[in-house]
Amino acid sequence: MNGDLFTLLAPELIVIGGAVLALLLGLGASPGARSAPRALALLSVFAAFLVTWYYGPSPAKPLELAGMRFDSLAYYIRLIALSVGALVLLVHWHLPHPAERGDVFAMILFSLAGIMLTSLANDLVLLFLTIELVSIPTYILVSIGRSDIRAQEAGLKYFFLGTLSAALLVYGFSFLYGAAGTTNLSRMQLSPAGGFVTIGLLLAFAGVAFKIAAAPFHVYAADVYQGAAAPVTGLLGFFPKVAGFVALIKLLFLMQPSDLLTAGWNMPGAAFVFLWVVAAATMTLGNVLGLMQTNVKRMLAYSSIAHSGYMLVALLAGPVASGGPLRDGLSAMLFYIVVYGIMNLGAFAVLALIQARGRPAEELDDLAGLGRREPLAALALAICVFSLMGLPPTAGFFAKVYVFSAAISNGAAGWHGLSLIVLAVIGLINSAIAAGYYLRIVATCYLREPVAEPIAEPRTAGIRLGLLGCCIAILVIGVWPGGLLYMSRLPFYDLSAPPAVATHSNAQSPEPAETTEQVYAKEMNS
Amino acid sequence: MLFLQEWILTLLIVLPLVGAVAVAIAGAGGRPLVPRSGENHDEPRGPRLGQMALAFSLATGVLTILAVALFFTATSETGQNLARAGGFALVQDLTWVADSETARRQIDFRYHLGVDGLSIWLVALTAFITPLSIWASFSGIRHRQREYYALMLLLEASVIGVFCARDLLLFYIFFEFTLIPLFFIIGIWGGPQKWAAAGKFFLYTFAGSMLTFAGVLYLAWQAARQGGVFTFDIDTLYRLQLTEREQFWLFLAFTAGFAIKVPLFPFHTWLPLAHTEAPTAGSVLLAGLLLKLGTYGFLRFNLPMLPAATQELAPLVAVLAIIGIIYGALVAWVQDDFKRLVAYSSVSHLGFCMLGMFALNQAGLTGSVLYMINHGLSTGALFLVIGMIYERYHTRQFDKLGGLARRMPWMAFFLVFFVLSSIALPGLNGFISEFLVLLGTFTSRNPLDGWPAGPLGAPYGVIAAVGIILSAVYMLAMVQRLLFGQLKEPEHTPDTSGGLRPDLTRREITILTPIALACLILGVYPKPVIDSIQPAAQQQVLAWVYAGDTDAAFAGAIAPRDAGAPARSAGPGAKEGGEDKDRLSRSTVGFSQSGFATCFSRWGEDQSPGFFPFSDFSRIPDSAVPEVTHR
Repeated sequence: MNGDLFTLLAPELIVIGGAVLALLLGLGASPGARSAPRALALLSVFAAFLVTWYYGPSPAKPLELAGMRFDSLAYYIRLIALSVGALVLLVHWHLPHPAERGDVFAMILFSLAGIMLTSLANDLVLLFLTIELVSIPTYILVSIGRSDIRAQEAGLKYFFLGTLSAALLVYGFSFLYGAAGTTNLSRMQLSPAGGFVTIGLLLAFAGVAFKIAAAPFHVYAADVYQGAAAPVTGLLGFFPKVAGFVALIKLLFLMQPSDLLTAGWNMPGAAFVFLWVVAAATMTLGNVLGLMQTNVKRMLAYSSIAHSGYMLVALLAGPVASGGPLRDGLSAMLFYIVVYGIMNLGAFAVLALIQARGRPAEELDDLAGLGRREPLAALALAICVFSLMGLPPTAGFFAKVYVFSAAISNGAAGWHGLSLIVLAVIGLINSAIAAGYYLRIVATCYLREPVAEPIAEPRTAGIRLGLLGCCIAILVIGVWPGGLLYMSRLPFYDLSAPPAVATHSNAQSPEPAETTEQVYAKEMNS
Repeated sequence: MLFLQEWILTLLIVLPLVGAVAVAIAGAGGRPLVPRSGENHDEPRGPRLGQMALAFSLATGVLTILAVALFFTATSETGQNLARAGGFALVQDLTWVADSETARRQIDFRYHLGVDGLSIWLVALTAFITPLSIWASFSGIRHRQREYYALMLLLEASVIGVFCARDLLLFYIFFEFTLIPLFFIIGIWGGPQKWAAAGKFFLYTFAGSMLTFAGVLYLAWQAARQGGVFTFDIDTLYRLQLTEREQFWLFLAFTAGFAIKVPLFPFHTWLPLAHTEAPTAGSVLLAGLLLKLGTYGFLRFNLPMLPAATQELAPLVAVLAIIGIIYGALVAWVQDDFKRLVAYSSVSHLGFCMLGMFALNQAGLTGSVLYMINHGLSTGALFLVIGMIYERYHTRQFDKLGGLARRMPWMAFFLVFFVLSSIALPGLNGFISEFLVLLGTFTSRNPLDGWPAGPLGAPYGVIAAVGIILSAVYMLAMVQRLLFGQLKEPEHTPDTSGGLRPDLTRREITILTPIALACLILGVYPKPVIDSIQPAAQQQVLAWVYAGDTDAAFAGAIAPRDAGAPARSAGPGAKEGGEDKDRLSRSTVGFSQSGFATCFSRWGEDQSPGFFPFSDFSRIPDSAVPEVTHR
C-alpha cells in the first residue's frame, strides 16, 4: 500500500461507484435492470471488503494524506462496516418496491461509504462531512416508500433533529478549531485545561450523542424506530452509531499526549463527568423505558439506547496500555459495537421476515406463538435476544465481559477509577433490568399459543440468509471470541504509536508490544 | 485410559448436548417446519423421543459411573490417590482464548475441567436424577415433546458443566446457561401460573448473577494486577491477596448471585412459585440440582477465595440460614397445597446446608455437601411422588384429597419412605447429613485440639435444631392428611389416561426404587462418600479458609500444598515478607489425612464403634490432628 490516494481509497470508491450505478440502474424500465441494484450492491461490498483485506492493517507508521489517516482504526472500521453492511443488504433484499430498489440500495451504500470515510477522517471538516454522509441517506431510508403517516413523521423528526445535532457538532468543532488553530487532527494537540476546549468538546459530544442515541438526545429514537421499516431500523442501530463512536474516539484522542496511552483518557474533568452522567442516564433511561413498551420495535429502540450507554462505559474507561485486552476500553467498545450491530440487525431481520410473510410484526402480541408458527425464525430471534441480554454462549456475553471488565479494571487513581467501577455496577444492574423486556419477547414467542398463520409465502431467501449470517456470527463469536478480539485490538496499538506527522522521518516508532511491556514493567516495579 | 481420564468430563457434557440436538432433529423429521394450525402436535411421535432422550441420559449415567471409578483410582504423579488426598482428578486444561499479540500473555481463558470429592458426587447426582426425571415425564408431558426432551438434556449438560468447571468464567457461563432451558421448561409445561413463575425465576436469578459477574471481573483484574495475566483460573484466584475491604465487597457480590439461587432467607420469594408451577421433572431438577448451584458456589468461591470476609460474615449468613430454616418450616406447615409445602421445605433444608457450611469446620462442611446430595435425592423423589399424584387427580389441594393409602398403597409406601428420609430418620440418608451439620455448628466455636475456632456455636445449633422438629411436624402432617383417614377424591378421578393405573405403574415404581435404594445406602453406609468429601473439604476449602490464621493453635510450619504450585511471587504482600497486616498472607496449608475420615474408616473395620460411629468425635487418634506447618 503506497501513497497513491486512488489506490488507498479504492474500497470507498468501489462502494460509492456501486451506489451511483445502483441509482442509475434503478431507473431502468426492464425488471432485469431493476433487480440489478441489489446484486450490484452486494458485489461492490464484497469487492471493497476483499480490497481492504488485501491491504491489511496499516504498518507501524500510519500514512497521512489529504486530511485522511490510514491507520488500523480505519482498517478495522472498514472491515466491520463492510461485513455488517453485507448482512444489512441481505436483510433489505426483498423489502423495497422494485421501483425504489435502486434508491434504497444506493442510500445504504452511500451511508456505508460515509462510515468508512469517517474512520479515515483526520480533519475536523472532513470528519463533519463524513458524519453527515452517514446520516443523510438514513433520513431518506426512514421515510422512503412508506405511505404510513408514522413513517413520514419519523422521517421528518429524524431529519430535523439530525440537522440540529449537525449544527451542534459544527459549532463545537469551531471552538476546537479556535483553540488549536488548525483543523488537522494530528496537529491539534489540545490541552484539556482550556475553557475553549471544554466548551467545544461538550458541544461536539452533544452533537454525537444524537447520532448514537444517547440521553438526553435519545428522544427521537423510539418514534423513528417504530416508524421506519424493520430492516432500516436494523441499519439505524449500527451505521450512525459507528460513525458517532468513531468521531468520539477521534475527538478524545486530540488531548492524548502523543506517546502515552497508559492511564485512559486525558480529558477535561467536565467532559469526564458529562460522559459519565450521559452513560449512566442512557443505560438507565433506555432500559427503564424499554420495560414499559408493548411495541417490539419501540422496545428494541430503547434497547438500542441502552446499548449505547454500555458502549459509552467502555469508551469512558478508555485505552489502558498495561493489562491486555480486558483492560482496554477502546477495543472493548470496538468489539461491542460489531456484536451489537449484528444482534440488533438479526432481531430486526426476524421482524422483517415475519412482515414479508404477510403478518404484522409491530406489537408484542404479533409475535405470540412464533415458536410454533415459525420455529426457525423464533429460534433466530431467541438467539439474538439472548445475545442482547448477554447470556452465554452468545457474542453478547463476551461483549459484556470486555466492556465491564474494562470499566472495573481501569484502576485509575482516586475517584476516577472508583466512579468507573460504580458505572460498571450501574451497567450490570441495567442488564438485569433489560432482561425484563428481552425475556418478554422470548416468552411471547415460545410460551404463548399462536394466534395467526403466515398468510403469504413470498420469496424471503435474502432475509433468511442475512438472518442466518447474523446467528452464525453471534454463536461463533460467542464460542470463539479470540479472533474478533484480536482485530479490535489493532487500533489500540496503532493509536498508541506516535502519529506520523509528529515523528516526520521514518524513524522507528517503538514497537507497540514493547511499549506495553515497558509500561507494564514500570507498573510492576512501582 | 489416560485419554479417557482427560476427556471423560468433556464427554459427560457433550453427550447430553449431542442428545439434545439429536432429539431436536429427530423430532423435526416427518413434519413441516412451519406447522399448520390444527395439526396435532401430541403423540404419536412422542414416546420415541422420550426414549431417545432417556437413552442419552442413561448413557451419560453409565459414563458417570465410569468417571466415578476413574476418579477413585486416579493417582497423582507421586502415586498418591487423589480422591483420598482431596485433590482434583480427571483434569482437562486447554487454552480457550489467549492473546498471542505479545510475548507476555495477558489474557487467559481456559477450558479447564476437573472434579474433586466435593463435585464428583454432585455430578453423579445430576447424572442419576436426570434420566429418572426424563423417564417420569413420559406420562406427564404430552405436547411439544421434542423441545421438552431437548431442553432437559441441555439442562443436564449445563449442570454437569457447572460442577466440573475449574475456570471461573467457564463456571459462570454454565451457571448462566442453566437459566435458558429451565425458563422454557417452567414456562411451557408448567402449571396455571407458569409465565409468572418462569419470569420471576429467570429475572431474580439473572439480577443476582449480574452482581456476581461484577465480582468475577474484579477478581480477574486482581489476578492481572498480581500475576500479570487476566485469568479466571480458580487455582490462581485462590492465591490472590485481597484486602479485607475488597473481600467484603466481593463477598456481597458473590452472595448476591448464589444466595438467590440457594435460596437464602430474604431472597427465597421466587422459589415457591417456580417449584410449584414447574412440571414434575422441572421441580425435581430445580430442587434436586439447580439449588445446589448456589450452595456449590458458596463452597467453591466465597469460602476459599474470601476467607476473611467469610469468617467475618459467617454469623450473619448463619442467622439468615436459621431464619430460613424456621421460617420455611413454619410457612410449609400452613400450606394447603402439598407441592408448595415441599417447595417451602426446600427453603428450610437449604438453610441447614448453609448453616453447616458456615460452621467452617470439617464436620459442618462434610455434612453440608452430603446434605446437598441427600436433599437432591429425597426432595427430588418427593416431587416425583407428588407429580404422580397430580397426574392422577389434577389437584394439589389437601382438602380435595385424603386417605390415598387405600387407593395407592405403593405410592403411600414411597411417600412415607421419602418423607422419613427428608425428616432425617436415623438409618436413612437425611440423618447423617443433618447430624453432621448440627455437630459442626455446635462444635464450631469450641473445636478440637489443634483446630482453629469457627464462627458459630451452640446457640446457633440449638435454634436450628428446632427446625428438625418442625420439619417432622409439617411433613408428617402432610402424610397424615394425604394418605390416611377417609378416602377423598375429586370426581372423575383418578385419571387413568395415557397408560396410568390408580396406583403406581411399573414404570413409576422402577423410577422411585433406585432413589429409595440410594437413600437407604447413604443412610446405612455413607463411608465411601464421606471418605471422599472429607479430604476434599479439608484441602479445597478449609485449608484456604484458615490459611491466613497464624494463631497459636495453627502456628507451626505450613507446608506448601504441592511443590509445583505457582508461588505467589508478584504482589505487595510478597515483598513485605508476608507481614503485611492489610493484605492477608494466604499461604497454602497441608493437612494430613485426618480426623473425621478416620472415625468413619474405623467403622466396620476394627473396634466397636460405640453407640454410633461418629458420635464419638472426641476420641480422635493422634494422627488426626492436622499436621500444621508454617512456611
